[in-house]
Amino acid sequence: MKREVHLVGGTRPEAVKLAPVALAVREAGLLEPVLLAGGPDPATVGRALAAFGLEPDISLTVERGTGSRDELLIAMVRELDELWSVRTPAAVIVQGDTTASMAGALAAFWRRIPVVHLEAGLRSGDLGSSSSEEANRRLVAQVATLHLAPTPLAAMNLLDEKIAHTDVLITGNTVVDATLAMAARRMPFETALLREREASPNRLVLVTAHRRESQGEPLDRILDAVKQLIARYPDIDVVLPGHPNPAVRGQVDAALAGVERVTITGPLPYPDRSRLLSEAYLVLTDSAGVQEEAPSFGVPALVLRDVSERAGSPTAGCAKLVGSDTARIVEEASALLDSRVRRDAMTAGGNPYGDGLAARRTAQATAALLGLAPAPEAMPVGANVVTSGAAA
Amino acid sequence: MDTVDFWVESWTAGDLTAARRLLTPDVEAEWNFDAPVDDEELLQVLSRVAAFADRVELVARTDAVDGAALIYDLAAPFGTARLVEFLAVDAGSISEIRHVYDVTAVDRFFPGLYAN
Repeated sequence: MKREVHLVGGTRPEAVKLAPVALAVREAGLLEPVLLAGGPDPATVGRALAAFGLEPDISLTVERGTGSRDELLIAMVRELDELWSVRTPAAVIVQGDTTASMAGALAAFWRRIPVVHLEAGLRSGDLGSSSSEEANRRLVAQVATLHLAPTPLAAMNLLDEKIAHTDVLITGNTVVDATLAMAARRMPFETALLREREASPNRLVLVTAHRRESQGEPLDRILDAVKQLIARYPDIDVVLPGHPNPAVRGQVDAALAGVERVTITGPLPYPDRSRLLSEAYLVLTDSAGVQEEAPSFGVPALVLRDVSERAGSPTAGCAKLVGSDTARIVEEASALLDSRVRRDAMTAGGNPYGDGLAARRTAQATAALLGLAPAPEAMPVGANVVTSGAAA
Repeated sequence: MDTVDFWVESWTAGDLTAARRLLTPDVEAEWNFDAPVDDEELLQVLSRVAAFADRVELVARTDAVDGAALIYDLAAPFGTARLVEFLAVDAGSISEIRHVYDVTAVDRFFPGLYAN
């Protein structure tokens, strides 16, 4: 009987990044992947996994009172400890820096179960806040047995914190695997509004602005820039997936509803989002995930933030930080809309976040940790393949 | 008051004598500092934390049949470091202590806390 490896996910992005790993572990046939959905909304995790033909094997029931992160952490650690005291996996895989990741890592460490950390080594450098994602990242790094870094820079951050180099492997980010696999299916759009604009010959500009710090005045400036771009370029369509928050959605509708060639949708299913991204000419985004995925399709991203913990893409040239200043956004977007060569040049160096093989490396590295396979080669650095369109 | 409560109250108040009494004679001690550890060294570090920190806050506690996991925020004048503590409790005494510190924050905000 194969030993189990448990993958803990508490949010939609975690589920998307863990799904390719579960599939790769299953394909390798050395371990049995078990998907655990926890966190504030296990149903969200389930929906994200469903896009990959997966479902949670175990859903953790976490009772909430105050709704605080510490309360969630305590409840998840308790649930996981109870589970693992009777059903002990050979290893636990956690992803990123969420409360669910932290809970999974701590509960596993408590039971002396090896912890494999995906997307290890990201650092914002913000030491000030003890309850921030940054504190979670650093603590998970302290208890992890194997650190799978998405980029060389992330690996260097770990070495700077005295993590042994033998415990660090550059795998790339599994979100690249996820989005390439999803776009390659070329599934029909689930979202009716996207089906309606599918036949348009115009160039597609995808705009996402969902982060809390973008809300309010920054979002107004971003929406103003979108209006100016639409007026200036008659051959572009803008798609703007809406935010679930009614206030934010109202702000977007007030600025852009009824504007010609602008499509405002609800939150998009992951397959729709990936396909849309693969067909885009340009992306304006404040999302770390979109920033990581866009270069795989040869799509440059203008990042609507002043700082980013994802230093890889600006460094590699496939993204550019432009903030939320209207004039700056219009200027930078116009430069890329005016020149296809300039647009294509931004992503000529490939995707610094991955080559689509991160999940396989993760599966093999986990098996190697348990003595079931040889250690995998790290992702080649500087030789990432650019794949464009849905054929990738 | 249970063993874990008494442990937390004792060390956070800097009362090493009371804290020491809770440990079994062969208590196992581990931490993630790049330095050797035994129960006495671990207690000395906790004593320095209690003395130097502006505030030690227990932010989370999870109990199991055989112990507890605790998370503390250690607030120093220029920033906060987090400590996760895993205790194994056997017949009212602590038989194992494992400490996981946010080493980067400790090195920054609690310089000289441990000898390496």
